Amino acid sequence: MTVESTVETAVLEARDVAVHFGGVRAVDGVSFRVTPGKIFGLLGPNGSGKSTLLGAITRLVPLTHGSLLLDGEPFHRVSAADVARRRVARTFQTVRLLSDLTVLENVQLGGDLRPGSFVSRVFGRTAAPAVTEAIARTRLTGLEKLRPGELSYGTQRRVEIARALAMRPSLLLLDEPTAGMNQSERREISDLLKQLRSEGLTQLLVEHDVQMMIDTCDYLLAMNFGKLIAAGPPDVVVRDPAVQQAYLGKKWREQHA
Amino acid sequence: MMDFYTSNLVLIQATLIGLLLALSIQVPLRMGVFSFAGVGCYGIGAYGGGILVIHYHTSPLVTIVLAAVGAALVSFGLALLINRLGGLYLGMATIAFDLIISVIAVNGGDLTGGPTGLYGAITSISMGLVFAIVVVAVVVLTLTERGRLGRRVEAVRDDPELAASMGIKVRRYRIAAFVVSGILGGAAGSINTMLRTTVGPTDIGFALVVLALTMIIVGGARSWLGALIGAIIFTWLPSILEVVGQWQHIIYGIIVALAAIWVPGGLLGVLTEGWRAFQRRRRPPLSTVPVVAIDDAPPDADLAVLEELAEDSPVERSAT
Repeated sequence: MTVESTVETAVLEARDVAVHFGGVRAVDGVSFRVTPGKIFGLLGPNGSGKSTLLGAITRLVPLTHGSLLLDGEPFHRVSAADVARRRVARTFQTVRLLSDLTVLENVQLGGDLRPGSFVSRVFGRTAAPAVTEAIARTRLTGLEKLRPGELSYGTQRRVEIARALAMRPSLLLLDEPTAGMNQSERREISDLLKQLRSEGLTQLLVEHDVQMMIDTCDYLLAMNFGKLIAAGPPDVVVRDPAVQQAYLGKKWREQHA
Repeated sequence: MMDFYTSNLVLIQATLIGLLLALSIQVPLRMGVFSFAGVGCYGIGAYGGGILVIHYHTSPLVTIVLAAVGAALVSFGLALLINRLGGLYLGMATIAFDLIISVIAVNGGDLTGGPTGLYGAITSISMGLVFAIVVVAVVVLTLTERGRLGRRVEAVRDDPELAASMGIKVRRYRIAAFVVSGILGGAAGSINTMLRTTVGPTDIGFALVVLALTMIIVGGARSWLGALIGAIIFTWLPSILEVVGQWQHIIYGIIVALAAIWVPGGLLGVLTEGWRAFQRRRRPPLSTVPVVAIDDAPPDADLAVLEELAEDSPVERSAT
């Protein structure tokens, strides 16, 4: 299933991407285009292949076949580190912070990608502007010296987002960034993502909160059993019978009828 | 002070060499590379240094530099060969490398002096040079524990996948760990040979792997300071434990076991934790920090909502 969102060059393009683990077809022939400055949402039940797809895009999971293009250039043969160096940043489904480092140091890890002078390459103790900005935007100011173990789960997730933002990404992949957050925190993250979009940042968002997806995303891609089952504007996708069948369930249909 | 120095010179020398050896094992461990190749490199440095001095009459500094470079080259080759191995398998392969170096030492004929080893490696090596080399090594390693490099080393050890998604070339770091380990091991071996003017197969055996690991486990695996603490304890302990005679080894074993069970971060880990706890007490409590995170929802709350929504879904769901 190919989705032609617009005719402009896609920031990210997947062509018939497949990831098989032995006999399991986690991602099974997925094609889509992510256009600049938009938020794309990836929707689907657990185990439908969303995280594996993000893994394939960041080259942490090897592709079985298919190709991936970044700004029209194939990149599915470069290393994970090189994908990151091309300004593709991601957050993880499970929080992956370094427990021995402070919040500031964890965020700096993202900012380290642009080292600048030799001195900052070796020492790099003062925070780069990108790091300070990322911390401020995720409302972590004042918590810089704490370690992840001292933070609540929702705050740890914000550190994940800050670390990705500190990379000054051109494409941001978010794997369930609001899992474990309450409503007000979710709204806050949603607002942040929309604000980043207004600054031109392209995003691919995996979330289970359907209402948030509708409010936040410009396009939705729905997956089930490793395949794309629907794609398009959010209100169209959530009305798609296949999506309702696979993911949303009767209650949601009744509530939103 | 001077009396203490001269009467304990041999122990002080042994401490410094033990420190370099422990560091050569600690550097790869700090990057999550389970390599003991530093001990094999120590052997290369010890014999290489001895051969250089006896046959070519090289000066101490030149000997140390050549021994370190030679050991580093061998270690680099080894890294390319076994880099793809992980965890225990890598550890086994590097121990095999150490054993091969021992076998070569025993069977090297005139070049290595066979089972009796090499004698008469007499140089004008001064303690000043030894101290200088240790200081340089410690200063350089300190740079890898702080700032940008420190964070990246931490990431490579703790979560290589995350490190890669931060743009860190993990493989390069792992190979660099082998090279640095080779430099430290090679330098330590050559210094030991020159200080003692002799080297034999028993000086470079498997016992060194145990000794270096012991120093790191008890002292602390995360920082050079831990290696120094370990080197001091296990160089000076045997002379203190002389009174208990043959029970020495049992006491040794008990210390290592206790350290591994109760202080996994080593003595340095205890000190660091204490310092952090002290800092926390001095900091204002979290509630007075202007920005406070509110987390009423338990982590699984959204899943519960989802389950509810999807109750009647015909699709079988599997937990990810």
